[in-house]
Amino acid sequence: MLPEATRYLKATVSLFSPNVFLNASKLSAHGAPSSLQTRRNLRVSHCFAARVPPQKKPREKVEIPGLEMVTYGDRMHYVPGLAKPVYPPWEMSFKDPRYYRSPPAQEMALYKDKPCYVFNQRTSILEGVRQAAWLTKTHVRPGLLPHLVSLAAKPENQLPDQDERVQNAIKHSRFWDTTEPRNTLLLNLLHLCATLQPTHPAVGRRILAENYSLAATWKRGEDLFQIRGRNGLLHCSMDPLPRICGEQEVLETSDQVLESFYPVSPTIDLQQVSVYKEEMNCTGFRGEYPYPHAHTLYFLETSDPNCQLRPEQFRAKMIMFTFGNALARAHKLYGSLLERPITVQAVGTNGRIFQFLVFQLNTTDLSGDDGIKNQAWLDEDVELYDFAKVRPFIKRKEVKVPAGLAGYKPETFSKFLALYLHGAA
Amino acid sequence: MALSCLTRALRSLTLSQPALLSSQTPVVQLKLGTLVPSTVSQCRGFLTTASLKHNRAYLKQLDKYTIRPIGIKKSGGRDHTGKIRTRGIGGGHKQKHRWVDFQRLRYEPNKEGQPFEEKVVEVRYDPCRSADIALLAGGNRKRWIVATEKMQAGDIIKTSGVIGRMAVSANEGDAYPLGALPVGTLVNNLEIQPGRGSKYIRAAGTSGVLLRKVNGTAIVQLPSKQQVQVLETCIVTVGRVSNIDHNKRIIGKAGRNRWLGIRPSSGLWKRKGGWAGRKIKPLPPMKNYVNLPSISAN
Repeated sequence: MLPEATRYLKATVSLFSPNVFLNASKLSAHGAPSSLQTRRNLRVSHCFAARVPPQKKPREKVEIPGLEMVTYGDRMHYVPGLAKPVYPPWEMSFKDPRYYRSPPAQEMALYKDKPCYVFNQRTSILEGVRQAAWLTKTHVRPGLLPHLVSLAAKPENQLPDQDERVQNAIKHSRFWDTTEPRNTLLLNLLHLCATLQPTHPAVGRRILAENYSLAATWKRGEDLFQIRGRNGLLHCSMDPLPRICGEQEVLETSDQVLESFYPVSPTIDLQQVSVYKEEMNCTGFRGEYPYPHAHTLYFLETSDPNCQLRPEQFRAKMIMFTFGNALARAHKLYGSLLERPITVQAVGTNGRIFQFLVFQLNTTDLSGDDGIKNQAWLDEDVELYDFAKVRPFIKRKEVKVPAGLAGYKPETFSKFLALYLHGAA
Repeated sequence: MALSCLTRALRSLTLSQPALLSSQTPVVQLKLGTLVPSTVSQCRGFLTTASLKHNRAYLKQLDKYTIRPIGIKKSGGRDHTGKIRTRGIGGGHKQKHRWVDFQRLRYEPNKEGQPFEEKVVEVRYDPCRSADIALLAGGNRKRWIVATEKMQAGDIIKTSGVIGRMAVSANEGDAYPLGALPVGTLVNNLEIQPGRGSKYIRAAGTSGVLLRKVNGTAIVQLPSKQQVQVLETCIVTVGRVSNIDHNKRIIGKAGRNRWLGIRPSSGLWKRKGGWAGRKIKPLPPMKNYVNLPSISAN
């Protein structure tokens, strides 16, 4: 009985090619009693062949208006010679969210003719920081401001046993913790910084928030841009950050010219959408949130292999999301006209290399290329340590890199601490 | 016939032990792409879903251009019946297909008619062809093209469809219609009908020569010394195709041929026929791809 069944099945299978049974014939061919209990079923649902038979064009159905087709619909079974009945598409009488088909874009309520360019957390823009600077009308300067960095040099702003504790934190994340992607290092560093709360009470007026959805809209020339997405960890506080740059320097930025990168358009790699909400500005939190001001954003490299960002694109993402946060809060606090500049900080890391960013939003009028520009200070590629090897790197019987943590740089953590304490010390 | 087979199979299945065999019920597939699941498997079978799409037919059906490499299944020289149609193909390293845009003069949706420039982002190896490919970025889009000899990342490349009165002094890598180029330029990626995409002179290191321009047509010499006459509005790229030392490479060992997907030929000695040996014959007549109106005497 069983071999007959398999023969019929194999005949059927050769016609419906995608489903193939492995092992079915081999087991019985071996001669061993094909006991059903030990048979393994492997069903693969893909087409083995790389070349498929040429697709036959279906016969053209000619619609003659006025001619009524005699169908076998009334007879409830197929009758050769009669036409196939065509029924109107059936729709459920009630709304079921499991079986909802969204209408095409043109019929959606929020459809607009003019497309909007959206930057989300997976976007990797071609020109990197230059393109992000053009989109946000920002003048980017390398290196952090000295008065910020000197904040951490003061002895009262330092942790007891700072170096040793940071090195322990690195060892925890690299050696004593799992190799699965987890942001142990960042959380340890944040915990270390937070231990300064007894001496700096303003640190207690802050909180960490994760997975909040940001939305910000602005116009640049003829085009509409939006930032949407969840970027990572946000340190928000009850008090806003003080402004970094004086009035004079802010006015001087209007003389700076934004870099252009002809022939590539600044909207390259941004997602074009026709269905969007205009004037969508959302900080991610509802109105009565007690920590309305964004202090620092923390960006981590994603473990998703589809959106791996190169360092340049990662820095661009940092700039865009920092700008988005600043703009959303500007709209919430001040409406359309900015009274005082809004400062937001950002730290991005892949575990070893850190990027520090301080962004000051000076204007919400971004439609023209001239006028006051926003400012950003970007410290690129600051290493925290050189190597953290589980096994020593030996070349030609010579130990090039020993096992354990090697090449620790204490300046990086002091910059991290300075950014953390900015506004509290 | 298929239906009767299926019903016979299912009928035979219900008479035997239902617990195990219900999992062997074949999945009915209506057409490529749709899958209707059948009965729930009650035994420990497992279903793997690999993509149905990675065959050559799917590549021809795609309509939206993408620069993302697409996986392809190796055919092994077999056609849809499963028999070998081309000997000597099989195995080799896995390859992903990068969709090269052979129609160089492709305007962006809102910018028809104007010559445009693009920037070369990177030049890289392509496993599917002997030449290298270059990623161009211009305006709002990115595309792959066949790279020319001296193309490097950061170059600006011009594409134009305009034929002026004076011949343009073209830089390598730029694309112009044949009528706009001076006679004697080395060209590649030749279109034989305007707007259809380039079909000729795409292999590594090859180049054609623009011989002369006659009325509204141009005559180009292909790398095989054959001459073709095409309309002067056909777009060509200037220069030689990249990877010029491709024909000088030494395979070195049988294994390297196998990495390239070339299976060994049969070792049987066969007497060579009239096809073998050096042939000296005159060049074939010039091939004309221009549909000149025929003069018919009525």
